[in-house]
Amino acid sequence: MSLTTTKAANAGLHGVVAASLLRYGLILALIVVFAIFSAITPTFLTLTNLQSVLVNNFPLLAIISIAMTFAVASGGIDLSVGTAMDFASFAFVSLVLAGQPVAIAALAGLAAGALVGAFNALLISVIGVSPFLATLGTLFIGRSVQQLLTNGGNPVYLPPNGVPEVFRFLGHGTLAGFPVPLAIAIIIAVATAVMFVHTRFGRITLSIGIQPSVVRYSGIAAPAYIAATFVLVGLIAAVGGLILTATVTVYIPSSGNAFLLNAIGATFIGTTLSPLGRPNVGGTILGVLLLSIVANGLLLTDLNFYWQQVGTGTLIFAVLALSFINRKAGSGA
Amino acid sequence: MSAEAEFAPSGFSSVERSGRSAGNIAAAALRFGSLIAFAAILIVFSITAPYFLSVGNIGNVLGQSAISGVLAIGLTIVLIAGGSNVVTGGIDLSLAANMGLSAAVYASLTQLGYGDAVAIAASILTGSLIGLVNAIAVVYAGIVPLLATLAVMNIVAGLELVLTGNTVIPASTPILSALSASDPFGIPVLAYVLIDFTVLATAVVQYTPLGLRLYAIGEFPDAARAAGLPLRRLLAGAFIASGVCGGLAGILSVSYLSGSTTGSGEMLLPVVVTALLGSVFPRRLVPTITGTLLSALLVGFLSNGFQLLNISSTLVSGIQGLLILIVVSATTLLRRQEA
Repeated sequence: MSLTTTKAANAGLHGVVAASLLRYGLILALIVVFAIFSAITPTFLTLTNLQSVLVNNFPLLAIISIAMTFAVASGGIDLSVGTAMDFASFAFVSLVLAGQPVAIAALAGLAAGALVGAFNALLISVIGVSPFLATLGTLFIGRSVQQLLTNGGNPVYLPPNGVPEVFRFLGHGTLAGFPVPLAIAIIIAVATAVMFVHTRFGRITLSIGIQPSVVRYSGIAAPAYIAATFVLVGLIAAVGGLILTATVTVYIPSSGNAFLLNAIGATFIGTTLSPLGRPNVGGTILGVLLLSIVANGLLLTDLNFYWQQVGTGTLIFAVLALSFINRKAGSGA
Repeated sequence: MSAEAEFAPSGFSSVERSGRSAGNIAAAALRFGSLIAFAAILIVFSITAPYFLSVGNIGNVLGQSAISGVLAIGLTIVLIAGGSNVVTGGIDLSLAANMGLSAAVYASLTQLGYGDAVAIAASILTGSLIGLVNAIAVVYAGIVPLLATLAVMNIVAGLELVLTGNTVIPASTPILSALSASDPFGIPVLAYVLIDFTVLATAVVQYTPLGLRLYAIGEFPDAARAAGLPLRRLLAGAFIASGVCGGLAGILSVSYLSGSTTGSGEMLLPVVVTALLGSVFPRRLVPTITGTLLSALLVGFLSNGFQLLNISSTLVSGIQGLLILIVVSATTLLRRQEA
């Protein structure tokens, strides 16, 4: 990582090639993976399949990964995004079951997710616990609380025919031709991307992650921004929880954690492989696309189901290794 | 996070000295506080559950903690050598999956008719290979440990599924039976394994130049580099050592569960918690092998006590979470005071 600049200059043409490879690494990786799957499976490059990737795999992971991107951008990480999803989901399902209007239930769900974020914010900004440990603690406590709320972890089902129309719409409807989950994911992606670049909040959050001392010396109350960031992370994750619940019409305790590792993966892939070299929504979305396409492509190959997980891991590992080696050899950064 | 630390000109003002001694007292209070809390938990359980403090039960807890203890010790070595920053520093997320794959290798080999010697060798080899991949990824390819070991974890968990077809593979061999047996006093052999392993790891990590160097590269990489320590080789060695611990834990789990089972990934977060919680016991609040053993036992005694008291096991995870937060908050507040 710490090669000297002279070395980088000596790398010459090789360096230029490597640098541009790195610059577009993620897009390149996407294209290569895309090409490979188009070549080896007949069904991959069909409209219906690509649609199914965008509708089934993409939206939820994208939303959770965007939430994660905020946490990572502020210099931390949030291991409790799944917990925020679960709490949102639980509040949502319980209130709908109790006969409350869907809008109220959804608001309560969002509030529940934000509450998880606020708990993290308290630990991180007020007490000063490191985000990794704070959110790890939240994850564990959240798991227990959910088991207590559900008599030891029983799923809460919604009766299939007793579900309000709005609820069904959230999971399976379409908005301006887009499936609702995808539309929501796109809205969140665009809004957060703009937020990062064009708002004071976004820029300060990013600066805290990149150079915390500068932020502090500038007289900015970094802890307040970090706290707000983690509440926002909980809120965005809660949106994911609502969509998950509306799609499957059931709340399963601790089910949100299934997204955790992939969200971390997508965020870090986006961070390391993007020309910006810092957490950014665009990179994260490309990372999510890469993960979704790999998962879908491997599903279409005749590969044994269990080999698919090995394949996913190996592909991601290869992409990461290549990019890091590339960066070392080329740009000298 | 420790804001003032960067400002502080390294120690000549008397103000700072007095602050530091106050910090020392506070740190001692925390250390003894955590030990006292540990003792208090034991006392409460032994009063409420009479069987709790019997030799047999203590042995049971030690035996049940053997697998997570060995894994947490492996993680501790990586934490020591990688530094305390969990994202960019040392972490090994592949440990639990490593244990699962090593166990699957062991069980599959015995199913194929191979003996214990081959199976043991293969498990350790599996573990060390996984450690080697982590080492190459982190040290030579330069991928941040969190991300590298996350990817490796996925690959390893997938390989375990491929090998086992997501089923339980029973295994029973002389050595496995010997490991899962108990001695005449009713103490499981696994308890002795945990103690022996801890003694060995403590000897190497806390009392040899090698161990000191691991601390040096973790805490002060620049100073260590200036002193001419082989940073890369030491860090790579730490990841491989952690991999070997995964392999060992795999063997222990095959014997404890009479075969390889699915769901090893569930162990990951508890093991991370155990290793991180361990730094609250030693004097300087840094990760140590003995600290990790204490924290593994604390977690073990907690779940055991809850079982004896018929308190739902669902609370254990919550209490673990609370413990981390209390311990870490206390440590952070103290450090802030110290700085």
